[in-house]
Amino acid sequence: MSAFRMQCKVEIIRILRNPYFVFWSLLMPIVFYIIFTKVFNTNIQDKQEWQAHYLMSMTAFSVMGSAIMTLGIRLVEERTKGWSLFMRITPLSDHAYFAAKMIGQTVIHLFSIVIIFIAGALINGVTLTAFEWLMSGIWILLGSLPFLALGTLVGTMKRVDTASGISNVIYMILAISGGMWMPMDVMPAFIQKIGIWLPSYNFGNGAWEIIRGNTPEWINFLLLIGYLFLFMLLSSYIRRKQEAAV
Amino acid sequence: MDSIVVLDHVTKTFKNKKAVDQVSFSIKKGEVVAILGPNGAGKTTSIMMMLGLLDPTSGEVRVFNSHPKEKKIRERIGAMLQEVSVIDALKVKEIIQLFRSYYPNPMPFEELVAFTGLNKDDLKRRADKLSGGQKRRLGFALALAGDPELVFFDEPTVGLDITSRKLFWNTIGELKARGKTIIFTTHYLQEADDVADRIILFNHGTIIEDGTPAEIKAKLSKQSVSFAASEAIDIADLKRLPHVSDVYKRNDRIYVITDQTDAVIAALFEKNIKISGIQIEHGRLDEAFEQLTENKEAI
Repeated sequence: MSAFRMQCKVEIIRILRNPYFVFWSLLMPIVFYIIFTKVFNTNIQDKQEWQAHYLMSMTAFSVMGSAIMTLGIRLVEERTKGWSLFMRITPLSDHAYFAAKMIGQTVIHLFSIVIIFIAGALINGVTLTAFEWLMSGIWILLGSLPFLALGTLVGTMKRVDTASGISNVIYMILAISGGMWMPMDVMPAFIQKIGIWLPSYNFGNGAWEIIRGNTPEWINFLLLIGYLFLFMLLSSYIRRKQEAAV
Repeated sequence: MDSIVVLDHVTKTFKNKKAVDQVSFSIKKGEVVAILGPNGAGKTTSIMMMLGLLDPTSGEVRVFNSHPKEKKIRERIGAMLQEVSVIDALKVKEIIQLFRSYYPNPMPFEELVAFTGLNKDDLKRRADKLSGGQKRRLGFALALAGDPELVFFDEPTVGLDITSRKLFWNTIGELKARGKTIIFTTHYLQEADDVADRIILFNHGTIIEDGTPAEIKAKLSKQSVSFAASEAIDIADLKRLPHVSDVYKRNDRIYVITDQTDAVIAALFEKNIKISGIQIEHGRLDEAFEQLTENKEAI
């Protein structure tokens, strides 16, 4: 069991030492948060609600990014460098290796959530009830699972360049059309129509509902679970096909 | 049963190309075995199958009487593979400690470090910042992390300078003294000869020789008796002489290939064959090795 704990620890260390993670998943969301709540904040009726709403957007944006990109690109890197193959001759099983990655990512997500929440509280004095803080944190943590599955799907790509290019595009499309950068109701109608079916919107919406004192909609749960299974199935199908090709 | 690695009629086909074809051998505990052959002979494919990283298309590979993918088997083996880079964002000592944690009875940390010759400053550096030679040494430490009974090295000395090579083979000698079983691949006959107890010579996916270095050398380094060619000499007659393995004509000289030059000369005089300008040649080992592997290529 100590091997597994050690593996989890190592995965966490590796993410924290990754400059892309620190920049994209911690620094950028906080900078965006400052810009959109401190600089462009005219004509907003309920300022407090907007500040809490946008804090949720940015936290979800951060966690979604590290789930898709940090995990996905790292998986491709490890494969192209022969590292994943090398791991298979150690007694650590493939499942343990994979599970350690997921746990490491989840711990990192928790860490990001706490950091960004604290930033929100310090920058704008966002005040939520303890229950709302807790529930929105849990929602974002659990809601990251479909994006981790999407990360493993990115991880099946052959080259690091392709993986980072494509995952970047997916990430931006999901973030913008899911209403994470700007609220959904200021988006053009056709983006709204597509957006509400995207995992990113359903991810964000759960948290937006929580800070308004509501509970996430049923459709949010259903769609996120649906996407989780879809991405898991796709990535394990591709993986199996790749293994059979050897 | 002291055979710890057994390959039984193993064939591996990649997209209709046979990389390994009907290979059988077994390796005993404590042996140091060189799998020797030119590039593309099937050496790496064989190692990968012994490690359970590739499944044979047909035939069976058994390590410690089990399937090589079993966890309890992987606890007893270590390997250094080609084209494996190091994990990023971790320090050398962190990677070594991580690997030690995978095994039930790891080799003590200090001992591993001593084996690799990495110094204190190297241990604190990020592994991906190390030089090529240092990465190899780290790879060596990782192969030994679990204090394995059986260690595989795939082309361990490619890209190493002479000093590092010497250091590497000295260390192998130490491992051998500890009773470890060692299997390595190489395409240098000299390395196999210097280090191994046994050479398995591969070419085009099949084993063409298997024996001690002395046996292999005797078979490879053919001697010849040569003399001026003349009308009166019939090559077919010469081929029938005892101890003669081949006869050919080149540049107006006839070459008789044999492992017993004295006996052949005696026979030539006995049969009263008129020969002149006699020379005895000892083929160079490296040339013979190249010739052997090339000849097979032509077939």
